[in-house]
This record gives sequence, structure tokens and C-alpha cells, in this order.
Amino acid sequence: MNRVAIPKREWDERLIHLLSSFDVFAPVENEFSSDYLKLDEEAISHIVYNKPKPVTPLKNFFLPVKENVTIEGIPTKPVAIIGTPNCDVMALLFLDQIYLDNEYPDPAYGKRRENSTLLSTDCLSIQEHCHCTSYGIEPKGNESSDISLALIEDQVILSVFSKKGEKFIEAMGIYVTLTPEKSLLDRLHELQENVKEQLLERNKGLPDYKQTGKLVSTAADPIWEKYASDCVSCGACSAICPTCSCFLLIDKPGFEKIRQLDTCQYPGFERVAGGEDALHALSERFRNRYMCKYVWKPQKYEQKACTGCGRCIETCIGQINKNELFIELSN
Amino acid sequence: MKTNGNLYKPLKSELIKVIDESPLIKTFVLVPEQDFSFATGQFIEVTIDGMGEAPFTPSSSPLKSDQLEVTVMKTGYVTDHMHTMKPGDKMGIRGPFGRGYPLENFHDKEVLILGGGCGFAPIRSLLYNLIAIADKLRKVTLCYGSKTPEDCVYKPYIQELRDTPKFEVLRSVDQPDENWTERVGVVTVLLDEVTMDISNSIAVVCGPPVMMKFGTLRLLEMGYPENDIYLSMEKNMSCGLGKCGHCMMGKYLVCKDGPVFTYDEVKDQPHIWN
Ligand SMILES: Cc1cc2nc3c(=O)[nH]c(=O)nc-3n(C[C@H](O)[C@H](O)[C@H](O)COP(=O)(O)OP(=O)(O)OC[C@H]3O[C@@H](n4cnc5c(N)ncnc54)[C@H](O)[C@@H]3O)c2cc1C
Ligand code: SF4
Ligand code: SF4
Ligand code: FES
Repeated sequence: MNRVAIPKREWDERLIHLLSSFDVFAPVENEFSSDYLKLDEEAISHIVYNKPKPVTPLKNFFLPVKENVTIEGIPTKPVAIIGTPNCDVMALLFLDQIYLDNEYPDPAYGKRRENSTLLSTDCLSIQEHCHCTSYGIEPKGNESSDISLALIEDQVILSVFSKKGEKFIEAMGIYVTLTPEKSLLDRLHELQENVKEQLLERNKGLPDYKQTGKLVSTAADPIWEKYASDCVSCGACSAICPTCSCFLLIDKPGFEKIRQLDTCQYPGFERVAGGEDALHALSERFRNRYMCKYVWKPQKYEQKACTGCGRCIETCIGQINKNELFIELSN
Repeated sequence: MKTNGNLYKPLKSELIKVIDESPLIKTFVLVPEQDFSFATGQFIEVTIDGMGEAPFTPSSSPLKSDQLEVTVMKTGYVTDHMHTMKPGDKMGIRGPFGRGYPLENFHDKEVLILGGGCGFAPIRSLLYNLIAIADKLRKVTLCYGSKTPEDCVYKPYIQELRDTPKFEVLRSVDQPDENWTERVGVVTVLLDEVTMDISNSIAVVCGPPVMMKFGTLRLLEMGYPENDIYLSMEKNMSCGLGKCGHCMMGKYLVCKDGPVFTYDEVKDQPHIWN
């Protein structure tokens, strides 16, 4: 790993130059939150650094909500995604297991993945529902991204992990000899540790990922019925979840197919010919999402199917809080 | 063989013949633009242009790659439309997908096959394959049930099977007519008649969920070990590629980890009989 520090002003200038060869996305603050924007010169000064998750999960860069998967049209201009928190990078590794499996690697997903450089960010503050540490995920960038990035004391510190990361640094014209001062790294370390402690403190009492599976699989029907009674099957929890990636293929004339993101929270997801539907009852669908994330996917895949990003809690119009559910289950 | 390079793009195929099997079941003979091979028990996704897609297990011989057949029960949106199609029309196919029957496990065994309704389609492809390897098998007993004599599919083929050494066919219907001379009752009644050397036998079950359930329970009662009972599972499916999540059955994705499983593999998973 290579570490580089450059002054923020210079970083901004170099980003401007990069725009001619890369499509660059980064979170920009809006009235209520921050979300990814395709950068132009103007937007560069509005990028937010060191903040927890943008509204849009990272998955949407690789799995658009709707796309024609029978025509070849993946753009070839390289993409750089700046400011992704580690929880979302871990979610992407989870999706890689499904979309880049040995048997049927997905062509569009694979091309986009190849084409993108990921610059993760260290979270140096927390949001109300963040609970990554409860699930063993650190709130700072690591070698799962190409570069991790933090802005402190007007210096951008870049830790370069991969070949792709090196190429990106080269394209920016940054000299790898610009090693950060030790005092700066110590300060960063201190901030990182502080955030970790805040997260642990806030989520005290929340069962960890080793316990969640057992709790979900042994929970009795009444608890699912109780929580599901506030659910309206809108599917927002899945749409916004960085690891939910189920879809439906929709046929169009000319033997074309549209892949549209779907969710087990919608009626009919498992309906078979003749009308049988194992997930007909809303409480069954509600329970299914938990079984999927905490019981079945962990039996099948190595990466975690819930990163503790908290988006599903923030988005739910029924104000269903899965952490409250887990605390109730563990009591 | 993978479909056309792009996993989602169907291979165009011409419908050259439609065979009426019963009032609700037709067999469609397709000639794909390129050779297309599959292993018995694997399935394909059939696209009706602009309308939809549905999974079917080919009913033709897996030893043939220039044409293939699917036997389809009319039951809803896509299948109703298929039943209106005529020779010369085009369909799309993707696949083959999933794990089929592990035929090497059948060697030196007596094979008991329990099928009902449209479950006969995949079984026919299996039977073609078993005939080809008959010298390696002890015997094959097919127990096949349908609602009425009219619903019995592949009538000429049944006679052919009965004339094949080592193969035996027992049939039952729920509602007989005056010409029916074979058994009456649900398909499991046939199991009272079979004589199998169970310690040297494997069983295959394929059919509607209720039949699969009661068939399997009866086989367990007869003493078949859980890992010698092969089931072909049916779930809602979209991609066939282990990605869309529709066919999830507990820790399995039926399209990729199945559709053929042993009872032992699936018995602890949820909703196995729907
Ligand atoms: C591996 C496998 C092999 C099979 N092999 C065979 C075979 O050889 N022969 C055979 O006849 N059949 C076979 N089947 C069953 C066959 O796939 C179904 O009969 C077929 O999919 C029915 O499609 P349909 O559109 O006609 O029926 P429909 O009942 O109209 O639709 C079925 C699907 O459409 C969707 N749908 C329709 N209406 C609704 C609604 N109101 N709400 C939500 N969703 C809805 C659902 O996704 C549902 O799965 C197989 C199935 C599997 C999984
Ligand atoms: S966001 Fe809330 S209301 Fe909507 S489907 Fe999810 S749990 Fe139900
Ligand atoms: S289930 Fe909720 S907390 Fe877990 S990854 Fe999905 S949106 Fe985030
Ligand atoms: S049909 Fe899509 S995952 Fe099985």
C-alpha cells in the first residue's frame, strides 16, 4: 500500500483535469442529506468528505434500477466513484459473489465493475442508524476498494491499494513521493478510533451478526405479524438496501429483456403456476427478507448480506426499525 | 452450452410441429438456430416474443442436439399463449440451466420413477437417457398417474416403453372411464404393487407439489433412504442464472443448485412443497 497526501486545493485542481478522461461521481450535500452527483467543475468544491453513506447505495452504479440486458451498450469511459463508505464497498463484494460467480458472470455488471475505480472514504462522523461495527464492518476504507481517502486539516490522504488505484493516481498526476506526515496519520487514526467507539456505544445491546441468524430463525410468528402490521409492501427497504439485488426480467418485442430490480416484499414474488404462493401473507414476505439476509445468504455466501448501513430504517414509511426488532428478539 | 454469449439473450428457434397430448397439454418441437444440448433434468427458459418467459424441462432426448421438445400444460399467461402457436412461429430459448440427474448414481440400480400430470415431461427425457444406458441398469419401473384417461400423455410412447426389456410401466387415473383397465386412485396406490429391491434402488419423483409430497412420504415409509430419492423442484423463476432470487428455497437457488435435489438436501428448507 502506498500513502500520499496532497493539499485539498491541489486535489480539487487535479480533479478538474481528470474530468476529461473519467466520469467522476462523488457525494454532494443537498438540503437533507448527501448523494452522488456526476461531477462538473462547479460541483468539485461541494464534494462532502468523511461522511457516512450517501442516500443512493453503491449497487445502483452496477445494477441500474432498469436496463435492457439484451443489447450491448455499456459505456467504455472509465468511471471513478469517490466517497463511498466501507459498508457499501462490503455490500458490493457481497453482490460480486452473485453477479461475478464462476458459472455465469454477468456481462454488464462485470464490465461496469472493471471500468470503475472505487475511492472509499473513512467515516469520521456517524449517522443515527449506522451500525456497521455491530456486524463486524469497520467504518474506514480498506483494500476492498482501490483507494481509500480522508480529508483532514486541509490535506487529502490517499491510501492506494490496487493497480487500478495506482493508475488513477497516475492519471491525476499525483507524485507518489508525497508521503503524509506522521502527525497527520496519528490524528487520522485517533479520529477513526473515536468514530468506532461512538458506533459501539450507540449500538450497545444490538445483537451481532453471529447472533442475528439464530434470533431470526427461531422467532415466533407473532413478532413478524406485529412488525409487519406497519409494513405496506412498498419495497423501499429493498430498493435502498445496498445488498438487495433481486430482479425480474420483462420481455419486450424483438426478444429483448429488461432487467428491473424487484423485491420479495412485493406480492407474487414466489407465485407459481396454479396460483400457489408461499409468500402470500404480508408477514411471510416481511419475515422472508430477514431470513434471506441473516439466515440463508450467510449459509450460502462468505460476505455479509447486511452491512448495518441503516438505510432501511431511515427509509421505512411504516417507521419499522429492524434494530428495535433485533433488540426485542434478544430480550 | 451457454446461450449465445449473452446469458439473457434467447436463441431463436423455429416451432416445426405441435402435438396435442391431452386437452390441456401440448408438445412443441423446436429447431434452434444453433445446436443446443442439455443434460437430462436440466431446464430451459422459453421466451414468447414480447410476452414473457417460462421455465420448462425439455421432454425430448438429451442425446439429440438439432431439435428439442417441450411438453407444456396450459395454466396461465405464457402457457396459454404458447397453446395458440403454430408451426412456423418463432420462440426463444435460454439455457440449459441447473443440475440434472446424476445418472452415474443410477448404475447397477433398480430405478423407480414416480410421475404425475405434466411431471411426465422431464421424465420422458430421463427415460430416453435410461434406455440408452439400459445395459448399466437393473430395471426401470415407471409409476404414472393422471386425473383421467384423457389426461394421459405420450400414449404411443407408453406402449413402446412396455415393449422395452427391463422397463415396466404402471398407470393409474383418479377418475376412470369405461375403457380404463389399469389402476384407479392417486399415483401412490401404484407403489403398493411394485416390487423393488430397495437397498439396491433409487427413486425419482416429478410432478405437481401435492403428488411430490405424498409420493416422497410413501417412498420414505417403504424404506428408501433420504439421499436415494431425487426430486425435481418447481419454483417461480426468472433468470435461471442464480441471480434474480425468485427461485430461492432457503439456502438454495433452485435454478442453479437444482432443480434436481435429493430429499436429504432439501428436507430442512422452507416451503419445499410450496
Ligand atoms: C424447472 C422447472 C421446470 C418446469 N417444467 C415444466 C414442463 O416441462 N412442463 C410444464 O408444463 N410446466 C413446467 N414447469 C412449470 C411452468 O414453468 C409453469 O407452468 C409456467 O411458468 C406457467 O407460466 P404461465 O405464465 O403460463 O402461468 P401464470 O400462472 O400466468 O404465471 C406464472 C408466473 O407469472 C407470474 N404471475 C402471473 N400472474 C401473477 C400475479 N397476479 N401476481 C404476481 N405474479 C404473477 C408469476 O411470476 C408466476 O410465476 C416447470 C417449472 C420449473 C420451475
Ligand atoms: S420500507 Fe417499510 S413499509 Fe416499505 S416494504 Fe420495507 S418494511 Fe415494508
Ligand atoms: S438490511 Fe438495512 S441495514 Fe442491512 S444493508 Fe440493507 S439497508 Fe443496510
Ligand atoms: S431463477 Fe433467478 S435466481 Fe433462480
